[in-house]
Amino acid sequence: MTPCDIQGERLQLLPERAAWWPGGGVVFIADFHLGKAASFRRSGIPVSEATTDENLQRLGDALDKTGAAKLVILGDFLHSRDGRSAETFARFRRWRSSRALLSITLVRGNHDDRAGDPPSDWGIECVDPGTGLGPFGLVHEPAPVRGGYALAGHIHPAVRLTETGRQSLRLPCFWFGARVGVLPAFGAFTGSAVVRPKRGDQVFVIAEREVIALASSTNTVRR
Amino acid sequence: MGVTEPAVAADAPPEQLERWFAERGWTPFPFQREVWAAYRDGESGLIHSATGSGKTLAAFLGPVAEAQARGDLAPSGLRVLWLTPMRALAGDTALSLERALAGSGLGWTVGLRTGDTSPAERAKQARKLPSVLVTTPESLSLMLSLADARTRLASVTAVIVDEWHELLGSKRGVQAELALARLRRWNPGLRTWGLSATLGNLPEALDALLAGAPGRLVRGVSDKRIDIDTLIPAEVERFPWAGHLGLVMLPDVVAALEGSRSTLIFTNTRSQAEIWYQGLLEARPDWAGLVALHHGSLDPEARRWVERELKAGNLKAVVTTSSLDLGVDFSPVERVLQVGSPKGVARLLQRAGRSGHSPGQVSRVTCVPTHALEFLEGAAARRAAAEGKIEARRPVEQPLDVLAQHLVTIASGEGFVAGELLGEVRSTRAFRELSDGQWRWALDFVCRGGSSLEAYPEYQRVTEVDGWHVVRDAKIARRHRMAVGTILSDASIDVRFVRGRRLGHVEESFIAWLSPGDAFVFAGHALELVRVENMTALVRPAKAGAATVPRWQGGKSPLSSELADSLRDLLEDYLDGHAKEPEVGAISRLLGLQQSVSRIPRRGELLVEQSQSREGHHLFFYPFEGRHAHVGLSALVAFRLARREPASFSLAFNDYGFELLSRVKVELGPALREGLLSDKGFLDDLIASLNAAELSRRQFREIARVAGLVFQGYPGQPKSARQVQATSGLLFDVFKRWDAGNPLLAQAEREVLERELELSRLGRAMRQLAASLVVVRQTRRPSPFAFPLMVARLREKLSSEKLADRVRRMQLEYDEACGEMAGATQPELFS
Repeated sequence: MTPCDIQGERLQLLPERAAWWPGGGVVFIADFHLGKAASFRRSGIPVSEATTDENLQRLGDALDKTGAAKLVILGDFLHSRDGRSAETFARFRRWRSSRALLSITLVRGNHDDRAGDPPSDWGIECVDPGTGLGPFGLVHEPAPVRGGYALAGHIHPAVRLTETGRQSLRLPCFWFGARVGVLPAFGAFTGSAVVRPKRGDQVFVIAEREVIALASSTNTVRR
Repeated sequence: MGVTEPAVAADAPPEQLERWFAERGWTPFPFQREVWAAYRDGESGLIHSATGSGKTLAAFLGPVAEAQARGDLAPSGLRVLWLTPMRALAGDTALSLERALAGSGLGWTVGLRTGDTSPAERAKQARKLPSVLVTTPESLSLMLSLADARTRLASVTAVIVDEWHELLGSKRGVQAELALARLRRWNPGLRTWGLSATLGNLPEALDALLAGAPGRLVRGVSDKRIDIDTLIPAEVERFPWAGHLGLVMLPDVVAALEGSRSTLIFTNTRSQAEIWYQGLLEARPDWAGLVALHHGSLDPEARRWVERELKAGNLKAVVTTSSLDLGVDFSPVERVLQVGSPKGVARLLQRAGRSGHSPGQVSRVTCVPTHALEFLEGAAARRAAAEGKIEARRPVEQPLDVLAQHLVTIASGEGFVAGELLGEVRSTRAFRELSDGQWRWALDFVCRGGSSLEAYPEYQRVTEVDGWHVVRDAKIARRHRMAVGTILSDASIDVRFVRGRRLGHVEESFIAWLSPGDAFVFAGHALELVRVENMTALVRPAKAGAATVPRWQGGKSPLSSELADSLRDLLEDYLDGHAKEPEVGAISRLLGLQQSVSRIPRRGELLVEQSQSREGHHLFFYPFEGRHAHVGLSALVAFRLARREPASFSLAFNDYGFELLSRVKVELGPALREGLLSDKGFLDDLIASLNAAELSRRQFREIARVAGLVFQGYPGQPKSARQVQATSGLLFDVFKRWDAGNPLLAQAEREVLERELELSRLGRAMRQLAASLVVVRQTRRPSPFAFPLMVARLREKLSSEKLADRVRRMQLEYDEACGEMAGATQPELFS
């Protein structure tokens, strides 16, 4: 876990592509894209359902590690209407029943708008972007919110690192600006987009099993 | 396979053809007579010649004479299928076939079917096909995906494959092989004739065309004399050691143009063509309108204009790329210039053949070096041509992505019975050794998505109904048809004036480099980017000032083995004092310097240079095996070094050698003693090093596209091609993790090895290196050989260090070049 202070609150960033907020007992993730593999299969592209298992396994790891009581998904939980496959849904249901006490909130994202809310028996509270949670404003698409620090997803951020000799690496990242923080895409079967943070932003890359703060910017966020 | 030796005019050609020629005051060439007689006797074959004409009539008039003899005056169906690799050539071909039919007494019609064919024309063809159809492998494959393909195509008696050498080495060639196999099953008497440039492996080319059936190799008009020389500037002293633009030669080129009526200037890349076009106009503003630009990214209308004007003799010079390698003859062209490395003997001869078309003329090609070492290549090419060392083009073997595509194609049409189609597929050269296991996998892949252990009800691409495999979902069939033929290039962005005409297209990656307001040069204009929308870059004329020239992808072919070999001969002769070529004289000072700073390696020697600079520690190796093999060799050497001691290397390569740059000094002696260059286990090491370098991940992009795993979206529904790219990379990762046995992954690896790295050449090189005397030189400054490598742009990474360690050490420099997805950078949000 790698600490990151925001608005006086400490977040612990996990290599499972999740952020843990001990103060609220909450694990945040974004862009799960459940059912993406199934929707690809429906278009004739064979993607294994094992991608779903891996996502659920990793989510379980993050929750176990932290002992979180609550999970907040910052949008794009379901990938598409085509992805609402019986197979995939059965997997999630099994996973959910083994964690019946966990409270789950979904901030609807653009994919959720098209894919529809998850089935009501999954016990997932669906809210619209802008809902507050302590010092945070929960959104999907990154945009400042009134009276809080926005936590967002949507863009699947990654940065490209270069060193002398022109070597370069592209890694998914957490990206915290002055008023908005963007989480990496949680789903294993998702792409990423290279972003260009500004001076003063805090950026943390995920390098295999570690989360590493990038040193360029000052380590405190402007208040 | 049997190759029939050409029988010289032993057979009597059809009489009416003799009359037809006589009426026009012509005499057939002996090879034309030979082909007509062979066609009449039911034979198939391949007609080859480096240059010269007459191949079209040789191939086409056989079927025409037969129709005349049989009184097949107005056939109701298709008779002759003419396959061409470039749809831009299809129109001209159709015209020349129509001319050949004039006065034949046949009521035959000629039609076109390519990606450019209008829906109206397609609808007309759906009612009735012409007697002769000019088409491409992709369009032919698409026709096979129609339900009534058999009834419409079974009447074809002859297929003529134009420029077979172009198709041969590519997956499009395999696509053609598969289509031909189908046509042959429908009509066992089908005759196939190929037209080809000279190749180093003609029997193999014939074999691929005829699927192993016996056939006749016919040599076309005997090649006319071709002169190869090099433009040597008056002042060679200050000639640059590195670079690729060569504008230092501009005054000499201008002088050369003045001396000839019409000149073709070939360059190796489109950006180089743009730069030379600009340079010529700056040097000679009075030539505006007389000098033109022609490359594959320009709008077809603009290209056609250039071709027309060139044919009419109205142009002083045309700066071009491979876009004018093929196709119609431009008789007024007197001279050909080749800017930069000729890369291969066959290519240089083909380009040379674009000049001197009038009878009795000599074809002349002049090499224009862009850096000093390229002087040697002109001389080496002349030697190789004189010795008849011509490159081969190897046919593609067993591309399972093409097979998967073909299965869906046939299933979208009339469908297939597995056993029958297997026999047909195995009749092709490409799949003659297809194993039962591979076949079962391909069938499973299109039916169930892969391993039959997993079954997902939502996956239904091809469905089996009573032993008959068909595509039932109309949406999947439609998308498949859309995707067939996207073997071709990267997604491109139209370049268009705001409210104005289209200029052409560039790769999306180039536009991603630019922000609105940035200036760049394209289609001979200095332009300013206004905005990008719907896969179109809107531009306006730029204000005066610096502009960037687009850097297109691709176009980097390696120096051929034949040319490299000739180059080593030349260096050997130089060391022995026997190289009398003027090109050698021109750079004798540089060669002398190389000798004194380091060494010029003899045959049987491998030169390695080691030096240090602010950038780090450099190692230079010079195997002279061409760029592609050096990509593999550099990865292999870096991998073996990193295995001894964790280290990261930056790699650079060119046609002569490669460079490894590292932060710490490499102790070469022990590494060499422990088998750094040993050919033992080199393939395993190479594959291991490739995994690290992720080359096969990139190669998977094309495979994923051909096999129908990614698609570019529907017309009128543009989708960022970058998302498709991300998706193919993503699919690669997902397959690698969850379906590691997927043969498409193995294919990606094999294709990287064979195509990107020239595995067979690499293996030969490896054995040679293992037997070589390694000469290590410590140099204080980069030698003349090292210099071009140091400025080479492409760097590959290969690292054995733990990822986290590298990241910790890396300095944070966000690559400015990487604002990739629109909307991905939203800095204003954070202010």
